[in-house]
Amino acid sequence: MGAGYPCCARLRGMTIHRTVAVLATAFSLCTAMAIAPTADLVAAQKERIAGYAKQPMKSPHLSFVSNGVADFWTIAKAGSLAAGKDLGCEVTVVFPGAGLSDQKRMLEDLVIRGIDGVSVSPIDPKNQMDVLNQIAEQALLITNDSDAPGSPRLCYIGMDNYLAGRQCGELARKGLPGGGEVAIFIGRLEQDNAKRRWQGFVDGLLGRSVDAERRDDHTKPFTEAGYTIVGTWTDSFDRAKAKANIEDVMTRYPKLALVTGLFEYNSVLAVEVFRQAGRTGQIKIAAFDEGADVLVGIREGIVLGTVVQDPYGYGYESIKLLHALTQGKLDAIPKDGVMNIPARTITKDNVDAFWSDLKAKLAAGKAAK
Amino acid sequence: MPSEPTVRSILRARGIGRRFAGVTALDGIEADIRAGEVLAIVGENGAGKSTLLKILSGVLAPSSGSLEEVDAQGRARELRLRNVAEAAQAGIALVHQELNLAENLDLAGAILLGREHHRFGWLDTRSMQAEAARWLARVGLDLDPSTLCGSLPIAQRQLVEIAKALSANARILILDEPTSSLSARETERLLAMLDELRRSGVAIVYVSHHLDEVLAIADRAIVLRDGRMAGTLDRASMDRATIERLMVGRDLPPTTARPSLDGAPARLVVDRVVSAHRRQRPASLTVRRGEIVGLAGLVGAGRTELLEAIAGLGHASGRISLDGRPLTGTIAERVARGLAIVPEDRARHGLFTLDPVRTNVSMAWLPRGAHAGMVDHAGERDLVVGMITRLRLRPADPSRRVQTLSGGNQQKTILGRWLAVEPSVLLLDEPTRGVDVGARHDIHEAVRAAATAGCAVLFASSDLEEVLLLADRIVVMHDGAIAGEFTRDTATEVAIMGLATGGTLETAR
Amino acid sequence: MRKHWGLLGIFMVVCIVTALYGKNFLTAYNLMNLVQRTALFSILALGVGFVIGTGGIDLSLGSVVCLVGIAVPWLLIEHGWSPWAVVPIVLAGSALIGLAHGLLVTRLRLQPFLVTLCGLLLYRGIARWMTGDQSQGFQGEFADLRSIAVGRIPVPGLETFRLPATTIPLIVLAVIAALFLTRTVWGRWLLATGSNEAAARYSGIPTARLVTGAYVACSLLAGLGGMLFIFDVGSAQPSDFGNFYELYAIAAAVLGGCSLRGGSVSVVGIILGTATLQVLRNSINLLGLGSQLEFAVIGAVLLAGVAADELVRRWHAARLERRGAG
Repeated sequence: MGAGYPCCARLRGMTIHRTVAVLATAFSLCTAMAIAPTADLVAAQKERIAGYAKQPMKSPHLSFVSNGVADFWTIAKAGSLAAGKDLGCEVTVVFPGAGLSDQKRMLEDLVIRGIDGVSVSPIDPKNQMDVLNQIAEQALLITNDSDAPGSPRLCYIGMDNYLAGRQCGELARKGLPGGGEVAIFIGRLEQDNAKRRWQGFVDGLLGRSVDAERRDDHTKPFTEAGYTIVGTWTDSFDRAKAKANIEDVMTRYPKLALVTGLFEYNSVLAVEVFRQAGRTGQIKIAAFDEGADVLVGIREGIVLGTVVQDPYGYGYESIKLLHALTQGKLDAIPKDGVMNIPARTITKDNVDAFWSDLKAKLAAGKAAK
Repeated sequence: MPSEPTVRSILRARGIGRRFAGVTALDGIEADIRAGEVLAIVGENGAGKSTLLKILSGVLAPSSGSLEEVDAQGRARELRLRNVAEAAQAGIALVHQELNLAENLDLAGAILLGREHHRFGWLDTRSMQAEAARWLARVGLDLDPSTLCGSLPIAQRQLVEIAKALSANARILILDEPTSSLSARETERLLAMLDELRRSGVAIVYVSHHLDEVLAIADRAIVLRDGRMAGTLDRASMDRATIERLMVGRDLPPTTARPSLDGAPARLVVDRVVSAHRRQRPASLTVRRGEIVGLAGLVGAGRTELLEAIAGLGHASGRISLDGRPLTGTIAERVARGLAIVPEDRARHGLFTLDPVRTNVSMAWLPRGAHAGMVDHAGERDLVVGMITRLRLRPADPSRRVQTLSGGNQQKTILGRWLAVEPSVLLLDEPTRGVDVGARHDIHEAVRAAATAGCAVLFASSDLEEVLLLADRIVVMHDGAIAGEFTRDTATEVAIMGLATGGTLETAR
Repeated sequence: MRKHWGLLGIFMVVCIVTALYGKNFLTAYNLMNLVQRTALFSILALGVGFVIGTGGIDLSLGSVVCLVGIAVPWLLIEHGWSPWAVVPIVLAGSALIGLAHGLLVTRLRLQPFLVTLCGLLLYRGIARWMTGDQSQGFQGEFADLRSIAVGRIPVPGLETFRLPATTIPLIVLAVIAALFLTRTVWGRWLLATGSNEAAARYSGIPTARLVTGAYVACSLLAGLGGMLFIFDVGSAQPSDFGNFYELYAIAAAVLGGCSLRGGSVSVVGIILGTATLQVLRNSINLLGLGSQLEFAVIGAVLLAGVAADELVRRWHAARLERRGAG
């Protein structure tokens, strides 16, 4: 197992030194409320970077933290590790499997291990300010995949989820030009990227103007421009539940014309359910991410297309940026603090080329256990 | 000697009756409970004693008749008890047959449970212990109030229960089968203590199957049969034969004569067995085919441990053989060889209390009647009906939950479980504790019949009368060792007691 | 059946309310889905029913579902093993897990709660470590094998309703379990062990073997269930597959009249309890109540069901007492 797994880190580090560090962190977490405000923490990080400009760090220890466990993150891991290899720095990739508290614990562990830079996909940034501040105080903090507004992060690397959602919505609009009933399935709606993606899909489907700040009520069905959004269903990552949701919605809305799965497995399960019910082609699917069944479905023509992010890019660019900062290159950060890595729309035309590239990257991530 | 207190009525039952769903359980009971007197209530199980006790202690309300409280001036006032708390208010306390002390509390905590002393919300342990010590002294117990209840022997727990009742200002103490777990010595001590309480003006209602005790202590006795008054006796008219006749309503048939055991081969041989008892020394004994051997001794002498060692329960060393072949392995393996054990604590180790009589009786028989592992339901029904008739189990209803049966019928259920498999060795631990006269007779007869059929019977009993009545041979244990042995002809209560309390065979004779 | 009137009542009320106010509850498609889900969860609940019958508990069941659900595609796809090897090995592995639980409980006298709680952590941890936290799926392959779970069997006389294939293993298992519990010596002894372990031992019943057997049956059924679940869903993620399934199974068993004190198990009750839970989850979707309310509704109905059962039981006991007292 690689160093990326916190269980191993725990076993290895159980020394007096470690105990002291735990106590120290526990204490400092208790006093987290007294930590300097965000602006000060940003300044402190920049000061540190200025210091690195005089004396660049030799082989810094950097970390990439996901918001869960998925193939998506395995590809990101491949990207991170590839960057680490290219640039000669130690990279720890961490996958929290049990939600918010798990991620918090893992981040705290990283701080205790004396990490130099962290790129994290925060699950619920508003409620994670303490630990994000904690990182910023001791290391360099950037975010990936999902941003943490108001935190002392130096940069956000990722795609704009609102825009990506719009791409998916536009895909759906093109596949269903005459309007109809649409159902949305998403793992959970608590996190910021999910909310933005959801809004983007709705705006794209309904052909609205671009406005990332718009907020519709996801708990109520509504009709606009010939499309009826019958509802949004979440499942907290229980796949049997996610599958049951799709089945139940098909039952309840016999005239359903299109579904979208805004998380990877939601799309995969939609393909699965339609296959089992023998309704492939009758109900259209606008997918998100690159689940194998979704790609097969695109090939067969039962899925309109899918919007894919570039997790490899998230990983690679995160490590690359953090490394540049440890060498004192402050100007590596884009002006507005956002490094956009745009999403791509995959349809029947480009699915094969995309798939072979994907397989290569995934294999690289898996090989890097 | 303290002066005899004035005896006066304090509680009267006037024509008390109770019906359950149309069935009369109790009818026209008259009782006069007097301060400074012991009133005995005797009757077979099912005679209505427990219903009467429940009414007296506020658990049940009477469906007819009433209770009357009598004050010092002799004025009677109707007393309606809606629950146990109100009975306690009126100074009535019931000491249960099944002891109810919380095992994890210390004596002070247990005695003053619900009436803890406290100061500013903190338990005042010191004052609680002082008060508890007073009440313990009153019942003749010299114990540290900080001792845990769970560590006390049953006899002392009983006294603690009484102390608890007294501490709650009880004027009327109702004792339900108080000696069912006590040895003869302990019983004697309890009776002496009750006599002491009577002198101090407490009214005592005493329920027991042991007519000896009733005869020893009661000033008056009420005999119940089938829910009605079979008779009221005062000291002068009380004698064993009269009480038994009133209770049973029939003359008990004479006990079956025991056949001669001459030439009977040894069936169960116990050779230098050391059981889990902390002071047990190697014990050897032999039970012959058809023989009934009684294990006598005080509570804690190691009899239960010896029986359990033979049954394969718990660790033991030494050799045991059955019909010449070593008897080893788990209890399941020994049962398969023909061993049977009726345990001392029937609720914990014997019965499936929520299950019906049927499954309780057929439990050990099941594999015998099974075809390819499938239960023979018709055979099971015949077996159970037959066993109910054979043991005179009441009510004769195979679907009745054993929880609702009386002690005697529960014991018959366990015995029936083993008689169904015709065991080679029958071990019984306190076979008739808490069992009434009629059922005791039935159980003894069933044991004799099993022995006559060839079974080797070994039973332990604290009840000397029972040991003398049932055993062909008596082995006495004292402090973890076998102290000596008597034949049926040479044994007397005095001699057995002598050995059981540490005397030698010579001094005993 | 007599003791399931309360549960049957709740089940009927939920069905009727959903049929009246929800949409398309009584369509063939929905009923097929409900039968499928009930069958899958019932297999788990039957297993835990045996353990509950002995007075124990198995909290590790969801993690066994996860371990097996992950191991099957992992071995088939990642390692290219033959299904003829994978299925027996995985089932034998589950049985071994149960054997370990049983021996720890009976020989080492550890608390079942503790043993299986550790199992809950252990097996999920193993599943995550084994796969490097990768989600595992069939990637469109093994359609024949998966038809064990996703297949639909035509029912003569019915046009649109086809019986989910998972009902076959459920019916077989339910009949075996019911026969075992009511007709065999070992079944009777198992329940006796649950109702009073000491008394069973004193009666010469090999209690340790029975209890161990119950844990083996439970884990084996969890393994079988896990396999069917993964066949049904197609892919699984080690970190969340089968999460909370032990609680759904235990809840269904208790709702179905199994006492957590041991000694009573009803196969019909377990299936009815599972069906009630599944219909409830379905009706929350069909009534459009919003999934946020799901746990609250399930919790409330469970509580109501168990409380109603207890009241009925007390009333019954009081009647017996009145009839039986002397």
